[in-house]
Amino acid sequence: MTSPALVSSSRLADLPPAVAASVWRGDDLAVPTGAVVSSGWAALDAELPGGGWPCGSLTEVLSPQPSLLEWRLLGQALRQVTADGGNVVLVGPPKPPFLPGLQALGLQARQLIWVQTETPAQRLWVTEQLVQADTAGAVLAWLPQARAEPLRRLQSRLQGGRTLCIALRPEGARSESSPASLRLLAQTGPDWTLRVQVLKRRGPLHDQTLVLPSVPSSLEAVLSRRTRLPSRCLALPAGARHAVVRAVSAEPLRH
Amino acid sequence: MLWCALCLPNPCGTESLASAQHGLALWALQFTPRVTLLDEAVLMEVQASLRLFGGAGELAARVRVDSPALGVVSVAWAATALGALALARAQREDVGHACDSGGGGEVDTTLLAERLDPLPLTVLTVTAPLADTLAQLGCRTLGELRALPRGGLTRRFGPALVEALDQAYGLRSPVFSWVTLPQTFCARLDLMARVENAMALVFAAKRLLLQLQGWLVARNAGVTAFTLRWQHDGLRHQPGEEGDALVIRTAQPMRDMAHLSRLLAEQLARVQLAAPVETLILEVDSVCDYRPPTASLLPDAAEDRDTLNRVLERLAARLGAQRVVRPVLREDARPEWAQQWVPASAPMRARPVSARPVSATVRSEGLPEPTFLLPEPLRLAVRGNRPLYQGELQLLLGPHRVEGGWWHRVEVAGGAAEGRQVARDYWVALSAHAGALWVFQTRVAGEDAAWFLHGVFA
Repeated sequence: MTSPALVSSSRLADLPPAVAASVWRGDDLAVPTGAVVSSGWAALDAELPGGGWPCGSLTEVLSPQPSLLEWRLLGQALRQVTADGGNVVLVGPPKPPFLPGLQALGLQARQLIWVQTETPAQRLWVTEQLVQADTAGAVLAWLPQARAEPLRRLQSRLQGGRTLCIALRPEGARSESSPASLRLLAQTGPDWTLRVQVLKRRGPLHDQTLVLPSVPSSLEAVLSRRTRLPSRCLALPAGARHAVVRAVSAEPLRH
Repeated sequence: MLWCALCLPNPCGTESLASAQHGLALWALQFTPRVTLLDEAVLMEVQASLRLFGGAGELAARVRVDSPALGVVSVAWAATALGALALARAQREDVGHACDSGGGGEVDTTLLAERLDPLPLTVLTVTAPLADTLAQLGCRTLGELRALPRGGLTRRFGPALVEALDQAYGLRSPVFSWVTLPQTFCARLDLMARVENAMALVFAAKRLLLQLQGWLVARNAGVTAFTLRWQHDGLRHQPGEEGDALVIRTAQPMRDMAHLSRLLAEQLARVQLAAPVETLILEVDSVCDYRPPTASLLPDAAEDRDTLNRVLERLAARLGAQRVVRPVLREDARPEWAQQWVPASAPMRARPVSARPVSATVRSEGLPEPTFLLPEPLRLAVRGNRPLYQGELQLLLGPHRVEGGWWHRVEVAGGAAEGRQVARDYWVALSAHAGALWVFQTRVAGEDAAWFLHGVFA
């Protein structure tokens, strides 16, 4: 008697390699057909199918509020994209981007395009046009009010392309269904960390929160040892939520 | 030799035959410099260009797709000019045979004769008026006419008849006067019906764009600016309204029809026509030398940039050029003036003024720079000497003093000038909800100090 797993794996081995590669079983991480861009953290890469942000497929990043952690989370990947000569196009960012700060990420003036949009329909149209062009580069689209059908259209236009397309959406969209093949929830944590949860991926359910160290790249040079751990050294005002922070800041300050 | 005959209907709709022929000839010049006008048709000799356009089959397919938009009713291919014209008039399109006969530059007379012999006498300009007379002689096709004794034919109908027959069958080569390429491009189109919807003009303009494309290819140029004018219906327009115009500019020299027509559509979508349009005129304002994209198997960075530029151009056409922007750094310590946004279509400066990047020389000397900058500093409320933004802020790092701008005065409403001098102490502040913020403290007229939010380290 052979176990079911063995049967299925031997059957998979019988298939031609091209077909076998496109078969994905729910209990292991899928291998995306397109290229991937490393996120810069080994811990996060290990949880993403293919080991990074997928190109040619829609990725959704949810965060509690806009302009909170976008560049901290995606900076390493964008550095990689621009180093390869790609452009970074921003569709409808919540605030004007500031190039001197972005240069610390390796972005050059000629590689950054800002498309200002007014209505949700415009954001989607612009994103679709950019995605359809299928250039090697990144498209960051802030789509706070997109419904599932336009996102599905985006996803199908992206399929098999080379563009790294990341939709930045509010945390409230978590309960909505989404055609994106990868969905993450990112929040800021104490002491320059990001807390990332993988909500949806082609692979087994991921129910832990990854804690990723992330100092904004323009602060890297100016932070001292003390300011790298602000929760230990400085009194946080009342209202800080994290239990860890409260416990630590309750101790008397040591300077 | 491979000839292609493009027959126009005669009479030719609203426009005169001459202008239709002229437009068609412009379009045809992109395939070969040997284009000539004959009666109601345009003839082109393409033997030398076949390889460039991917063979006779490819070229024929392209001609078949594009030519109906220019008013062509029938296309025929043959080894001689008159033969092609005769076949076109007889509405017999047959590329396969033409390819066989167009092999070596020599006219394969037997194959051509097989195709021409069954044609009626009306297909040649010389024989058409004699068709009735010849029919009474019992002679109804070109083959039968050719079988008659040449001497008798010459004596009865003059030498032109036999000469034309010889030319059609490739026994004698005629002399053509080739169409020359005009130095400027201005094409005019009288619309078949009055057009009241601006978007409908896009379809009408396609014909003009096809001619433009032919002219550009023949000139080896790409267009950087062109004007589409329209004139209103002569009966109904109010005096003083002669019509209107739209100027389209492209960032790079362009000859891609699909892209030009998309740009035009985006611009026309915002146009409100004052009266029904009768006439369209397309004029080229400026052209540049065009470097066609290199055909490559692998994806190319330069090609990617071109594709992206084309998309951005389309976005700018709909949203406005001021909404698709890229940053330019300025040497200014004040963050608001440290960068400027310029339209992405504006030409890039070849190299920065200083060899080193601006940021490395002036900025970032230990000064933290945020990644988002608020368009206007946001005044923050203060509680117990601490600024508030989504809760109390924790000042982490600072102060970093930014001072300057005493030279900078701007005009404000009322003609008065206002200084833009700043003296600010910037701090990196932490907020429990809003992340790392860039705030500054400055003196405000009439008060001690005030806190402002200016950026986010997102």
